[in-house]
Amino acid sequence: MKDIWRLLRLMRPQAGWMLLGLLLALLTLFANVTLMAVSGWFIAAMALAGAAGISMNYFSPAAIIRAMAILRTAGRYGERLVTHEATLRLIAELRLWFYRHLVPLVPGRLDGYRSGDLFSRVLADISRLEDFYLRVLLPVVVALVGSLVISRVAAAHDPMLGWILLVLMGCAGLLLPLAVGRLSREPARQSVEQAAELRGHVIDAVQGMAELTVHSALAQQAGRVARSSRQWIDAQRRLAAIHALSEAGLLLFAHLALWLVLWTAIPLMRRGDIDPPRLAMLALLSLAAFEAVMPMPQAIRLLASVRVAARRLFEIVDQPPAVEEPEQGAAAPARFLLEVQGLGFAWDEGEEVIRGLDLCLSPGRRVALLGPSGAGKSSLIPLLLGFRRPDRGRLLLGGQPIEKYRGEDLREWIAVAPQQVHLFNASIAENLRLAAPQASDAELMDVCRRLRLDGFLADQPDGLDTWVGETGLRLSGGQARRLAVARALLRKPRLLVLDEPGEGLDSLTEQAMLHDLLDGLGDCGLLLLTHHHAGLEAMDEILVLEQGRVIERGRYEELVQAGGWFAESLLLAG
Amino acid sequence: MERAKAFLGAQRQTARSRLRLTVLLGNLGGGLLIAEAWLLARIVDAVLFRAADLAAVLPYLLAMPVLFLARALVVHGAERSAFSAAAVIKQQLREQLLGKLQRLGPLYLSGQRSGEMATLLSDGIETLEGYYARYLPAMALAVWIPLAILVFVLPVDARSALVLVVTAPLIPLFMIWIGRGAERLNQQQWQQLARLGARFLDAIQGLTTLRLFNATAREARLLRQDSEDYRRATMRVLRVAFLSSLALEFFATISIAIVAVLLGFRLLFQGVDFKSAFFVLLLAPEFYLPLRALGVHYHARMEALAAAERMLEVLQEPDPPSADGGIEPPREAPGIVFEHVVYRYGDRPALEGVSLDWTPGEWLALVGPSGSGKSTLVQLLLGFMVPDEGRIRVDGTDLRRIDPAAWRRNIAWVPQKPRLFAGTVAENLALGLERVAPDAMKRALEQARALEFVEALPQGMDTPIGEAGRQLSGGQVQRLALARAFLRDARLLILDEPTAHLDRHNERALREVLEGWAEGRSLLTVAHRLSTVRRADRILVLDRGRVVQQGRHAALLEQPGLYRELVRAGEHGR
Repeated sequence: MKDIWRLLRLMRPQAGWMLLGLLLALLTLFANVTLMAVSGWFIAAMALAGAAGISMNYFSPAAIIRAMAILRTAGRYGERLVTHEATLRLIAELRLWFYRHLVPLVPGRLDGYRSGDLFSRVLADISRLEDFYLRVLLPVVVALVGSLVISRVAAAHDPMLGWILLVLMGCAGLLLPLAVGRLSREPARQSVEQAAELRGHVIDAVQGMAELTVHSALAQQAGRVARSSRQWIDAQRRLAAIHALSEAGLLLFAHLALWLVLWTAIPLMRRGDIDPPRLAMLALLSLAAFEAVMPMPQAIRLLASVRVAARRLFEIVDQPPAVEEPEQGAAAPARFLLEVQGLGFAWDEGEEVIRGLDLCLSPGRRVALLGPSGAGKSSLIPLLLGFRRPDRGRLLLGGQPIEKYRGEDLREWIAVAPQQVHLFNASIAENLRLAAPQASDAELMDVCRRLRLDGFLADQPDGLDTWVGETGLRLSGGQARRLAVARALLRKPRLLVLDEPGEGLDSLTEQAMLHDLLDGLGDCGLLLLTHHHAGLEAMDEILVLEQGRVIERGRYEELVQAGGWFAESLLLAG
Repeated sequence: MERAKAFLGAQRQTARSRLRLTVLLGNLGGGLLIAEAWLLARIVDAVLFRAADLAAVLPYLLAMPVLFLARALVVHGAERSAFSAAAVIKQQLREQLLGKLQRLGPLYLSGQRSGEMATLLSDGIETLEGYYARYLPAMALAVWIPLAILVFVLPVDARSALVLVVTAPLIPLFMIWIGRGAERLNQQQWQQLARLGARFLDAIQGLTTLRLFNATAREARLLRQDSEDYRRATMRVLRVAFLSSLALEFFATISIAIVAVLLGFRLLFQGVDFKSAFFVLLLAPEFYLPLRALGVHYHARMEALAAAERMLEVLQEPDPPSADGGIEPPREAPGIVFEHVVYRYGDRPALEGVSLDWTPGEWLALVGPSGSGKSTLVQLLLGFMVPDEGRIRVDGTDLRRIDPAAWRRNIAWVPQKPRLFAGTVAENLALGLERVAPDAMKRALEQARALEFVEALPQGMDTPIGEAGRQLSGGQVQRLALARAFLRDARLLILDEPTAHLDRHNERALREVLEGWAEGRSLLTVAHRLSTVRRADRILVLDRGRVVQQGRHAALLEQPGLYRELVRAGEHGR
């Protein structure tokens, strides 16, 4: 329940719209119930007057009937508009809230989650919260207020009538959905599991089609898909049966209410406690009243999933940031000297991925870390950018521990072209300007030329305006990697870190690209993380890493002469 | 659109009796409802006008619960039979669609289409449920129940019947209006919402990148701006779009009001008796209910049509030509000859006249920059596609005339990124094989140097792996795939080496494994590292779809050419 309160507090900025929507929903409900009840009263009264041959004031009830019809229609229109307005505002509110809270956690805190899983879950969870108002909160409040008011009206004729309606609406709106919820818990869980299993088999069947074909296992896989589809449908069938039960139950309760009302009201009327036309009115009132609780089974079902979704989102959001930022960041060092001393680092409770690294990067110096992927090279990046803190040893910038600097400042000075390149759904130019919002087209083209992307751009009809990312042109791994390098260069950094810039390029192109790149660096330091040999001759120092440890270090020629791993690997390469 | 409609219509055959039962039960429910209204009118009439007391109306009063119990049962039954109609169709379509995809083969599924197809097979088909279980029955009931009600109202009160008859067609008419015009606008809005969702997802997934460039605040502003714009635009559209449902609501509600008022006046002037009037008033809202239910389920039709459209795209794709011959391939390692083989993807050439004579037992290594045609050559060998020009001969027989399934039984293939399927280690090893002795599996695992880590797994050979199971490292996956290949005891092994993720320890192990195993078998490696190339019997250097050099490592190194350049530049590109 705590999570729901917190969710409500989050939604408070839109309370006005939410309340207005609620009022309109209640208005619509009451208008309809009144319409039915007054209609019943009206025709009974008219019939009695007609039979007795007396006249009656038929203007006001007839007017009420028409007014209620109009009110219901208009109210419904207003309700839909206002609740949608509120929902759209809530969407913006919730997404921004989540985004803001996520910023200090990424990267680092969320690395434990598998990213695809995290993002799809987060999106599903947030959209569930977005539905909270429209599908849970609104119907629940309407049902609650509606059934209280309606049974109060009935109770004005006789308390027993009020109780009948209240109890049966409670049964239909609360007990029945709760019972249904309990009954469907197990099949719902099974259904989710079976659905996941089916999806897994289907993905295997589709993405593994080539291997299945070669292994003559197509029929086998088709059998698995068919079987898990049947199992899923069976779980759904159990759910559908329970749903059918709840539909039938709702109907049963509504008509039972009508029946009990008749049973109670007929003697009351005979005794003269209520006017005869009121009998017709009460009958129709009790039937119409159940409109108030109709959406309750769905609301209660969703409430459970909203709570789970809210719980999960709050859990993510409530994590403390991976690092504490200093209140007052140290000023930019006059000389951009980066010293790594005995550095050790492990991802959360894992084994150390960097074990005792020593390294010095003065302005203009070029250092390469060489090693197979998984050797721990990339783990240095979050430390340099202030996303993480070293576990052991020291990381000094301009003689000061790196913890003294603000992360934003570090990222201003140090630019990284990471291995995992994220290209946004936007043009190439916009993706590049992320790094340098003010850069002119000419500057962008210039950088692209240095990275040998000009040929590719010339092939695109839209050039720099070519749309990329998930919904745009699919770039090859090599092209995306080079765009990331371009982005980093555009920052005009004091230290450039390139993580496997040549992946996906053939070695000839890689060699040429690195050559051009090094030429234009000037005073900017370079840290190259790679498992290729391209460009290594031009480095001031090469560190060979294996399982987080430096096993060899020196200049290219020195390493060749030393005849160790590096020399051996070169030898293999001819 | 038309063909999608026809397609959805045709599927009805599969579940015809169940769909009929659903409609029948729905109609039965309608009949019970009319009977119950009649009983209620009868009771109220007797009490109001015939001075009946509880005892006098007792038979009617006791009949009522029988009716609504029966109705609850019927509703329950209708729900269940509606579900099972949809279930039969879903299952059948899922099997049919997967069968078709399997006939179309891996070539059709390459690229991003595979993800799309996986979604279509799992969740896409689910959208049909709304159509068959809700929309279709609602459609039938929207005709029958109002008709049945009219039949009862007409003799009682012609004027009320007229009101109903006049407004009834307006409602489907408005539905069509909603369906054709406003719904489309609505649809566009939801598409935009989806786009907004994608935008949000993009921002979250790219959060690390945004932080690298200190651009998170700017992105937050943009996100807010986008959702504001979206909200304004959407509300503008919705204000109009909801007008049509306003009209719908208006007619349904106003006509109930008109019927009530009309009846009232006729009662006053004794033009109709109360029992009949009350009966009509009770039926009036029920008259519109099925029509409105149809409106609620209308979007299910839209979704189903969209899904059907996508299914048709697959189902109407012509089957690829099947091999014309049923010639059994030889069991021994065959001699394979490429005679001037040409293959193009559309108009993009992939292989441009490759000739090759591969003697039994020879170890061939394919080398070349990315896009040089290495994988095309492998795909042709696997029989996923046939050459546009030229031919491939297996021991003199054209590959096209050999039964592909039988041919593939001769081949073991380890792709660059081998796929592990959802299931246990043992199931993965025995993929496509009938019955495998545990000893044989152990031997294969041992040969592939995988036995040690498999035995260290918590449940050994029975450990679940694959997407949802235990995560294995790249090297482990590779070795399991090798074991799987060895188990097949094929005469021909095609091995696409992984580009990265192998450290030198693994690399050496892989090399030794292959050397031991290749004895007496033909081996083709798509090589990315020189350590394996050096030992191959022959290296084929591919460039832009042609074999530009071939020979042993040492010989090739001595000639000027692409091979030497590749070697000099370090490692190979892909």
